[in-house]
Amino acid sequence: MTNLQGRDMRSGAPIRRQVVAYAIAALTTTSLMSTTAYAQSVDLSQWSPDYIKSIAGTETFDTAGHCADVVPLDYTGRLTYWWTGPTEASPQIEHQINDEFWAAWAKTYPNIETDAQNIDYNQLLDRLRTTLLGNAGPMVVRLQILGGVEFASKGYFQELAPEDIGYPTADFWPGAMKSVTWDGVTYGVPTNNETMAMIWNADIFERAGLDPESPPATWDDVVTYSKTIHDKLGISGYGLVARQNAGNTPFRFMPQLWAYGGGALDEAEASPSYQDSYLDNDGAKAALQAAYDMYVRDKSVPTSALTNTQNENQSPFIAGQLAMMIAHPSEYAKMVDLAGQATGADKEVADTVVANMRYGLIPEGPARRAVVFGGSNMHFINEEYVEGGFDEMAAKAFACFWNSPEWSTKLAWTGSNPGNLAGFKTEWMKERLDTIKFLDVTTSMLPSGIPFPVIPEATEIMNIIVPDMLQNALTERMTVDEAAADAAAKVDALLGGGL
Amino acid sequence: MSTITGQAAGPSAARAVQKKPNIVSRIIKHRADYLYVLPALIVMLVVIAFPIYYTIELSFFRTPPNLQMKDKIWTGLSNYSLVLNSSVFHEVTIQTIIWTLASTVFSFLLGLGAALSLHREFVGRGVLRALLLIPYVISAVAASYVWKWLYHSDFGVIGAISVALGFTDEPINFLDNRQTVLASLIVVNIWKEFSFAMVMLMAGLQTVPDQLHRAAMVDGANTWDRFWHVTFPHLKGVSMVTILLLMVANFNSFIIPFVMTGGGPADASHIWITHIYQLAFGRQQWGAASAYAVILFVVMMTLGYFYVKALTRGDETRQGA
Repeated sequence: MTNLQGRDMRSGAPIRRQVVAYAIAALTTTSLMSTTAYAQSVDLSQWSPDYIKSIAGTETFDTAGHCADVVPLDYTGRLTYWWTGPTEASPQIEHQINDEFWAAWAKTYPNIETDAQNIDYNQLLDRLRTTLLGNAGPMVVRLQILGGVEFASKGYFQELAPEDIGYPTADFWPGAMKSVTWDGVTYGVPTNNETMAMIWNADIFERAGLDPESPPATWDDVVTYSKTIHDKLGISGYGLVARQNAGNTPFRFMPQLWAYGGGALDEAEASPSYQDSYLDNDGAKAALQAAYDMYVRDKSVPTSALTNTQNENQSPFIAGQLAMMIAHPSEYAKMVDLAGQATGADKEVADTVVANMRYGLIPEGPARRAVVFGGSNMHFINEEYVEGGFDEMAAKAFACFWNSPEWSTKLAWTGSNPGNLAGFKTEWMKERLDTIKFLDVTTSMLPSGIPFPVIPEATEIMNIIVPDMLQNALTERMTVDEAAADAAAKVDALLGGGL
Repeated sequence: MSTITGQAAGPSAARAVQKKPNIVSRIIKHRADYLYVLPALIVMLVVIAFPIYYTIELSFFRTPPNLQMKDKIWTGLSNYSLVLNSSVFHEVTIQTIIWTLASTVFSFLLGLGAALSLHREFVGRGVLRALLLIPYVISAVAASYVWKWLYHSDFGVIGAISVALGFTDEPINFLDNRQTVLASLIVVNIWKEFSFAMVMLMAGLQTVPDQLHRAAMVDGANTWDRFWHVTFPHLKGVSMVTILLLMVANFNSFIIPFVMTGGGPADASHIWITHIYQLAFGRQQWGAASAYAVILFVVMMTLGYFYVKALTRGDETRQGA
């Protein structure tokens, strides 16, 4: 890769020679891009914990050198950027990497004046909506995977594909690319992707007479295991979450719904059209019935599930009062942290729980094994909505740098995975696998990931209608069939432009 | 400014003399006063009048999630029709009325009881008064989280105590049950605001002349008679204001139901404000949420009218005299 910074240009060199040289360089670059860079870096068909381990640390990448091909390193410009970065609750290493990133960015592109705002996860969307109304948005924004489509459909985003910043589309998860595509046009680059996994307490499994080293293989097994644990030990089996208007609920219920063959729409299909609701098909009803059986019939899940988010499951889990739950890769670090804070007899219990924590694949159902494909995407705002105008070169330089195999991996250190699949081949991915427990398991769920429907109505469907359906059935306000039909009717009305 | 120059003499002229100057005349006459308050008026127009205008305007539009606000679609009164004909609106309205009336009545009665108790001299009265004020001064968000854990359906203190004392076999399901959730939240709300009623009524009790009580005692009135015929009539004004303020506050309640249940389970604890919030910020239905807010605004303005009437009743009587 060529670093233009500091290049000594000979004065008086014939212009014709320069033109020829640039033409050859351009052709060479294009040729390289088409033969090597555009080839997929990893083989998704082989994806497994062993494959992930086998490719980690096998290649090195020159981030600055690569980005110099996209935007010269001596480019002078201005950048404004909004994202959700490390918070007070984040592990120290996240803060450290964040600091390292900004230092590296400033060193690589010293002439790009950067104004970056780290905005709280729950405030970013609302703040962006408000500022875009006043044409005062940032140039570049990173949003949660479901957040971008609303703005793309409203015309706020520029067309943006990985190729625009020097990376092949083939090097990003197909599901992730689906999440940045609206109406056939690509409006962003996936920065990081993750899926959840099933976590269980092997000690509780053993005491309940279950195989301590095997998670429930199917969702029907989850119902059975949960009942067995509750009946034998008097504690909650599965950590059901069904709070209204909380993102935790669809992230935990949709895998079950998809596994039985249901869906909000047809998002689980290979080529979804997002036209009709699947919430009242047989698969969706079977999933809802399974939740009903655990909550109402067996009472084997927390009674507080209707007001709980996943945060409220952490305390009973670390106290040995909850046997299994769906959670992020970072849940292990959280439990270690909680155990570190415990004292006396609680400390003993917490340490036992941490020692007995196991990660496994999310159960499968009659139709498939599925998990929500999570992550974040980077977008460019259209110039007319950007305060102070849009600096295309600065934005591209930044997007190239952030989404490089190096920083795509480092910036997702504890909570996610690199959006750029080439990141899985870096030495930093190897270091993550060596130091973060269960990372290989959670990462191996990625091919089973299904993104939420990429339509502007998705937020309402997932955060309101799906939890409503669960609550209507679990409180017996409606029967399972009625709740499913009610939810499907609401989705149809919403897609038809109703209230 | 109206003038009577050249007008015919007689009864009509006398009426004209008594006629109040119109508002423009008054503004011109007192223009210096109005100039002084003009900056404040402009600020109020920007921060109060414009949002009200914009909310009313937005209530006549539909705001689909795939359109920018500037491209909103005119729908006339259909948002009002959608809201008013929605079954959830009817359910939430009933819940709002129950929430408001129960919270207001019980907060007032509890506050009245506390005020009457604290009106008498006894050892530790100051300490008790301070203790009873704690719920009012504590942050509503913090109180909601504390009560959420007290009520917790699996690990709540109240549930654990009820099991330990043998009142129930298993922890009581306060918040995850459609039948009990609203009542549970109302209890928290009463706990939070009865101190306000107490403070207001304690102030009112200071205005009751002691001579009247002594005279009533001389006349043989018992405790109830003294309360009903002497104390309570003097508290009518402050009671009216307290009840109206409580009602306005309760119609506008948000924090307790939002933090503790988010309106659930299955909408059973939604009240108007939480439902409007969900429509606006959960579902991006800005038009419908605005229509909903306008309806609530009309209700609040009606209550406000009676509040002002109650506050100014004495002034009108004095002016009439």
